[in-house]
Parts: sequence; structure tokens; C-alpha cells
Amino acid sequence: MNSRIDKDLRELREAHVISDEVSQRITDYYQAKKSGGPRKLFAIFGVLGSLLIGLGIILILAHNWDNFSRFTKTIWAFAPLVIGQLAVGFSLLKNKSRAWKEASATFLYVGIGASISLVSQIYNIPGDMPEFLMTWILLGALLVYLLRSYTAVLLHLIMATVYACNLGYFNEINPWWYLAMIAWIIPFYLRMLREQPEGNATSILNWAIPLSLAITFGAFVSEATNIVFLMYVGLFGLLYNLGKLEVFNSGKLRRNGYAIIGSLGMIYVFMLVTFEFAWAEFNPSEHLTKDIVITVGIFGMACLVLLYLASKKKLLPFNLFQYAFLIFGVIFVAQYWDFQLAVVLSNLLVFGLGIFAIRIGNLRNNFGVLNYGLLIITILVACRFFDTNIDFIVRGLLFVAIGVGFFLANYMMYRKQQKLKSKDHE
Amino acid sequence: MNKLVIGGLFILMVLAQWYVPGNMISQEEKVLTEGTMYKFKTEPIDPSDPFRGKYIVLNYEVNSFRSDTAICKYYDKLYVSIGVDSLGFAKATRIGLSEPEIGDFVIADCSGFYNGKQSFSLPFDTYYMNEDKALLAEEAVREVQRDSLPSVCFGVVYVLGDRAVLDDVQIDGVSIKDYVEKP
Repeated sequence: MNSRIDKDLRELREAHVISDEVSQRITDYYQAKKSGGPRKLFAIFGVLGSLLIGLGIILILAHNWDNFSRFTKTIWAFAPLVIGQLAVGFSLLKNKSRAWKEASATFLYVGIGASISLVSQIYNIPGDMPEFLMTWILLGALLVYLLRSYTAVLLHLIMATVYACNLGYFNEINPWWYLAMIAWIIPFYLRMLREQPEGNATSILNWAIPLSLAITFGAFVSEATNIVFLMYVGLFGLLYNLGKLEVFNSGKLRRNGYAIIGSLGMIYVFMLVTFEFAWAEFNPSEHLTKDIVITVGIFGMACLVLLYLASKKKLLPFNLFQYAFLIFGVIFVAQYWDFQLAVVLSNLLVFGLGIFAIRIGNLRNNFGVLNYGLLIITILVACRFFDTNIDFIVRGLLFVAIGVGFFLANYMMYRKQQKLKSKDHE
Repeated sequence: MNKLVIGGLFILMVLAQWYVPGNMISQEEKVLTEGTMYKFKTEPIDPSDPFRGKYIVLNYEVNSFRSDTAICKYYDKLYVSIGVDSLGFAKATRIGLSEPEIGDFVIADCSGFYNGKQSFSLPFDTYYMNEDKALLAEEAVREVQRDSLPSVCFGVVYVLGDRAVLDDVQIDGVSIKDYVEKP
């Protein structure tokens, strides 16, 4: 154990601040924590090692050793696969440690890719990239549940994301199989949330899943009209509200990828729709049925999450960010009367969200949220400089005013915190 | 999970992981040993794949067939019957949306219809090469085509049933792998 803690404990015991029993429990706690450290590190390095070796093998095989016979190359194609299978079989049979399971799952996952790559190479099989990735994902899918491997889940998610982007972007095919791939890992993820909601692996997935959804969503969107904004707002609204579920919201904010990605995503889209071009250059009558169905579906899901939160009495205190997607839905409909109205309302919405974030930051004494709100308003003002004819003097004064606002808001928060601290001391 | 279920699922996974590449190999080997060999005149260009390495894409001369009207839409499967011309190279003898009853055929991807010609692209257009040789191969072909006595570059393709396997790419009968090593 750390000699500093040892020294402190001795001092506290001698001063009769803590009993011998409490001191022993603290010592035990640190001992247990310390012994968990190297195991975790061993697992992380095992996974990184397997991943690097596996990817290295793929690259070495991709060189194409054309002086070997077809038979020799075929044996090489199966070698990483067999080694990976043996390692996984051994991990399962001997019920080895987490490090073993994670490392062997990683190696086999990459080995599958190496094997089918090389067979395609040997026989000049032209199959396109999405087809190749799909085969790889399917052959590796069982690893998630067999070894209960976090790395296999993460690799599955990454591969599914690459598959969806490969298939869906820059052409008209929708990667519907991506949804099945995500559905496959949901039971495992729910179990992780139940058993270790604060675990590092769970936190990584709390970021990776919403990130994957945000990245691949565009592959389902036709982008023909400005309904694309509504679709994205629906998605980010859904993610934000998911982030407000007890399981995510009760932990640290940095572990809540849903709320952060949802909030940043909404603000990004809202910033875009504060510009006139987002409304003026599209013909709202050209919406595709598929886009409308996806929009309705995603808004429906977001509303269900809101209703669930309401049933659990988790909607108080009021949070404007949770309803922003619905407000934007109304703004979107407003464009049918007058698109200028939609532009004005969008600007008001972003301004309102900025003010609201400042208020939350102030109430919670949180500098991060306070400055997020200030940043939203700053970006909004900066954006307006591009499409309005305001005098340079007025623009300059506005910037100065916001700068002063930044300074004052932070200073006031600092004073408030100091006051609270001094009250605590009294 | 029950140990028996885990064991069963593990064996199932291992078998599937063997079956997919194994099946790919057996299908390709069958075409190579039992199929008919055709020579398709071509011209290669060299791109790269992150997993499978460098390859050359082959633009075949057999890429359209005379027709009064458009026979298919983009990305439709098109059955192209294959014959041999007087010089021994493959040529299209018939195209249609259904499998021909006699003779060898390949399944191509339909593309546009222009000027009385129905265009299509043959599927066996990828030839994987050693990373040091792919670019050299492209340059070699460009070089030989500039010569006063143009050499012929062609893909050696085996056809059996509805499958076709590209076995080699040759310039004047020499494998392109060896051709680029010539001094």
C-alpha cells in the first residue's frame, strides 16, 4: 500500500480519529483495489497485444506472397483462425481469467477477418466490402456471448458501424442489417448496465453506442429535403432523453455519452437551422415516404422515453433540452406557413437553450454547463454575422458584450462558490 | 450459461468459421478444375483494399452487346452467353434475363443502354497482386499497348455453371506476375 496512506492512517489512529478496526478496513480496501489494478492492466494490454498482432497478420498477408503456392497460402489463411479458436477454446474449457478471455476473443475476431480476406485474395473473389464485412461480423457475433467479452462487443459495434457507412453512404441502399447487428448486443449491454453500471467497459459502451447510431444514421437518410434536420433532431432528442434515464443519469456526466452526444448533436443541428438556407433551398413537398416513416418512428420512440420518465416522476425539475426535439417539430411545421417564421423561431430556440444551460450551470454550481450555455449563445451570435447586414460597430459591441458576459457569469459563479465554502466552514 | 450449451455453441461457431472460407475454396476449386477456360481481353488499373491488399481492376473488352432496345435496368443480373472468336478470345454471343439452356454463360451486372448497345460489367474484375507488382503491372500494360506491335493482355477465366473464377492475368501468354519481373 501507498506509504503516504499508511502514514496518514497511523496518524489518525494515534489521534483517536479512527478506530483500529476502521483503519484495518481502509487498509483492506486499498489492498483489494491495488490487487485489481494489475489484472485490469493485464487484460487491457492483452487485448491491445492481440489486436495489434492480428491486424499485423492481416497486413502481412495482404502483401500477397505470390511466390507461395495456392496450397501454402491456403494453410496460412487458416493459421490465424485456428490459433484464435484454440485460444478461445482453452479460455472456455479452463475458465481462464478475464484477461485471457478478452485477449483470445480479440485475436479470433481479427483472425476471422484475416482468414476470409486471404481466401478472397487467393481466388480473386471480387465480393464488395459490405458483403465481406457482413460475413466477418456474422462469424464473430457468437464471441460476444460465448466469452462475455467486452472487446468482442466493441469490435462488433465498430465493424457494424463501418458496414453501415460502407453500404449506406453515397448510394441509395439502406443498411437495415445494421439494426439487427445492434439488436444482437442489446441483451449483453442491458446485463452490463444491470450488473456494473459504473464499470469502465459499460461507460465505453455508453459512448460507443450513441456515437455509432449518430454516425450511421445518415446512411438511412435520403438527404433530399430539409426533413433531414428533423430526423437528426429526433435522433439526438431520443439519445438525450435516454441519457436522462436513472441508469445513466445517476452516475457521472462523463460516463453519460447519451446525454452529451444528444445535447451536442441537437445544438449542432439547431445552429444549422438558424440559417435561412436550411429552409429556403428545400421544397417541403418533396419529402420521401421512407424519411417520413423514420422520422415518425424516431419521434415516437423519443416520446415513449419522455412518457416513461414522466411515469417515474423524473421530468422535474423542468429541462428545456428534453423537449427541444418536440419544439423543433412545431417549428418544422411552421415552415409551411412561412419559412422566415421557422428561421426566427429556430434562433429563439437556440437562444432559449443557451440561457437554460446557463441557468442549470448556475443552479448546480457547475462551471462546465454554465460555459456551455455561454458558448451556445456566442456561436449563435457569431453565426448571425454571416447572414445579416449588421453594422461592424454593432457586431463589435455585441462581441464585447458577450465577452463581458462570459467574464461576469464565471466571476459571479466563483463568488457564489466561495460564499458557499465559507458558509460550510462556519 | 450451461457448460453444455457453451460447448455446443463454441463448436457451432468454430464449424461456421471453417465452413465459410472452406466453402469459398471448394466452390472456386471446382470451377478451376472442371470449368471451361476462356481468355477475356482486358486492361488493368491498380487500386488497393485495406484487408485484402493491392489488386488490379480489369476493364474487359467484352462489356456490351448489340440490341434494339434496353434489356435490363442498372444492377439487374444479366446472363451473357460466352463463345470464342477467330483469335481464340472470349466474346458475348447472346444476352438475356434468363439462364441460357445451352452453352457457357457468365452472370454480369447490367449497366446503361446507349447507341444500340446494352452495356454490362463482368463480375470477375478483381485480380489480387503482390503490393510491389500491382502498379508495375498497370504500367507494363500501358507500355505494351503503346508498342507498334501491340501485345494482348487478357484474363484467364474458368466458367462452370453460374460461377466464373479468374485464375490469372496474362500478357502475350506470360502471367502478369512474372511479366513485371522481366528485366
